Parts: sequence; structure tokens; C-alpha cells
Amino acid sequence: MHVPDGFLSPQLTLPALAAAAPLWVYAARRHFGRAALDALPAIGALTALALVVQTLMIPLPGGTSTHLGGVVLLALLFHPLVAFVCESLVLVIQAVALGVGGVTVLGVNALAMGLLGPLAGWAVHRLLRGPLPRVAAFLAGWLGTQVSTAAVVGALGLQHALSPAHLPAPLPVLAVAMLGPSALTGVAEGLYTVFAMALLRKAAQRGLA
Amino acid sequence: MAWPEPRRSQALLAGGAAAAFALSALTDPRLLAAAGALAVAAFPGGFARTARRVAVAVLPVTLGLALVSIAFARAAEGRWPDLTPWVALVLRPAVIAYVTLSVVRRADLFRALAPFPTATRLLVLTLGQAHALRLLAAESLLGLRSRMPRRPGALDVLRGAGGITAALLTLSLRNARDVADAMRSRGF
Repeated sequence: MHVPDGFLSPQLTLPALAAAAPLWVYAARRHFGRAALDALPAIGALTALALVVQTLMIPLPGGTSTHLGGVVLLALLFHPLVAFVCESLVLVIQAVALGVGGVTVLGVNALAMGLLGPLAGWAVHRLLRGPLPRVAAFLAGWLGTQVSTAAVVGALGLQHALSPAHLPAPLPVLAVAMLGPSALTGVAEGLYTVFAMALLRKAAQRGLA
Repeated sequence: MAWPEPRRSQALLAGGAAAAFALSALTDPRLLAAAGALAVAAFPGGFARTARRVAVAVLPVTLGLALVSIAFARAAEGRWPDLTPWVALVLRPAVIAYVTLSVVRRADLFRALAPFPTATRLLVLTLGQAHALRLLAAESLLGLRSRMPRRPGALDVLRGAGGITAALLTLSLRNARDVADAMRSRGF
């Protein structure tokens, strides 16, 4: 669902990078500690987890498939800023080490998929987790996916408004093309979040996690 | 004269990033086509492989979006829209992807990061853990498949993925503690 390189101009990608950079520093220092000894193993472990979860393919009706995000789960288990740091590193590794995704759109994708979506999922989970823990976990996964996609659609729509010559696709086409499939993949992400949370709760009760 | 490492890899990565940003600003298809020809001339080795990866990973998205949007514009306005921005939209991501993939193939990331020990350690830790966790995830999914009399459906895989995540999370946090202890014992 992330924005590929070449869809957004530097007019948008550079300010997004400028906005994301201080947040990366703040989030890493606040949640992983100032010392590299504390921070590196934890960041590395959770980033590796996010990287691997994103390789798990879920078959969808019609013979297609989607992959999980797993970022909302990290936000629920730790903090949205932890998810932001880990997802940003996943995007960096995919772009630089594997040549997948985008270098120029790193800031936009990190803010949309690593921060806004997980933050929305975390907020709805905090609101509902007391009375309805499973519903809260499902809605967190589903809503997180929708908010990330909506943020990506918003960035693309803004690019169209700023320069139709750069991105001629109008907002209605982008919205239909991206929000429709996202509603379905959001269900998969929501169910995955429910199952993972339930298993982690059980493991915690047995003293395994 | 070839540059010595790590300067060669650093220059390649920095040049690739600068080229990607510069290409992302272009909207003229002729300029993009010229930039594409220049990229192929600069990185001729492995052209077929890189071009195939671009064709598989990038073109379906850009061509699909372009065709749907052109059909939408035709239906809404009753006439064919100007195709120039669409040609540019298909060319731009393809040229950037070609440059990025070519640079990534030629640069040695670990050598480029050699002067930055913190970044190197983080990359080593992440890729090492990802490798170990990926093996475990693949084994778990194969186990799930072998236990079922039919091909696992979406719900089976989702339930399995939840279990795998719980196991991976426990393992990755334990690995993180082990690595921190190992680093401490080596005087970091």
C-alpha cells in the first residue's frame, strides 16, 4: 500500500523527510534508551520481527494474496513511537538493502504507515480494550490499516492538487483503487491482531512471554 | 582509477539517492526517456535481470493506475485525456527503480557503513535476527500445511500467523537480551 518512488515530487517528499527525522531521533531516544547497548538489540529485534511478519502472505478470495503489516501490533504491545521506529527501519532496509520500496518517499511512507496508522489503532484499542478486548484488537488492526491507506491517498491527492502534470490520477480514482482493497486487507490485519494478542495474553498468563 | 572502499560504495549510494530525488522532479517524458537511456548506459551489466525486476515490481502498478485513470477520464469527460503525464508517470518510477536496483547491486552496504559503527551494528543485528526469525516462520508455516488435509485458507494462515508472531516476539526479545549481554561482555 505504500507510495512507490516517482509518484511524489521533492515538493512533498523533502518536507516529509524533514518532519520524520526529528521524530525518529526523539522516538529512538525515548523508547530504546540513549545508550547504544540498550537501544540497538531491542530496535534490531523488533525491526526483524516486523520485517518477517510482513513476509507472511495471506491468501484472499479470487486467487490473490496480501501481506500482513504487523505494525499496529507493535504499537499495541509497546508504543506507537516504537512501531514508528521499527517500521521506518523496515522501509529503509527494503529500500536500501533489497531495492524494494522507495528512497525518496521514505518520509511519507514512514509517517503514513509507521506513525498515523499505528497511532489510530493504538488510540482505539486504549478506548475499547477494557470492556471489549477482542473487538478493540480487531478494530485497532482494521482502523490502523485504513488510516495508513487514507494518509497515503491524501499524500497522492495533495500531489495531484499541487501538480497534475506530476501525478495525473485524480483523487476519486486513487481513493477507489486504494481504499476498496484496503477495507479487505484491514479485515485480515484485524483478525491477525486478535489472534496474536490472544496468544500473547495466554503466553503471559503462563509466564512464557 | 577506481575509488577505494568504503568511498566507492558511499559515493554510489549517495549518487543513487541524489539521482532518485532529481528524477522524481521530472515530468517531461523525453527527459525521462533520456535519463533512462543514460541509466542503462551507466549500468549496462545485469540489464536483463534489473529490467525484469522493474517490469515485475513497478510496471503493473503504474500501468494499471494509468489505464484505470485514463478510462475514468474518458468516461467522465467524453474525450481522451492528454497522455503525456501518464507516459511520464509510467517512466519515472521505472527509471528510478532501475537506478536504485543497479546501485544496490553494485554498492557494498556494509563497507559503506564501515565508518558508522552504530549503524553497522544495527544493520547486522536486524538482518541476522530477520534471517533467524524467517527460518522459524517458514518452518511453522510448513508445519501448519503438513498438519492440514487441505490447503490452508485465509483464516488458518491468519491464526497460524498469530501464533508465529507470539513465538517470534518472545524469541526476538530473548535474542535482544542475549545480544545486549554479549555486547556488554565484550566491553561495548
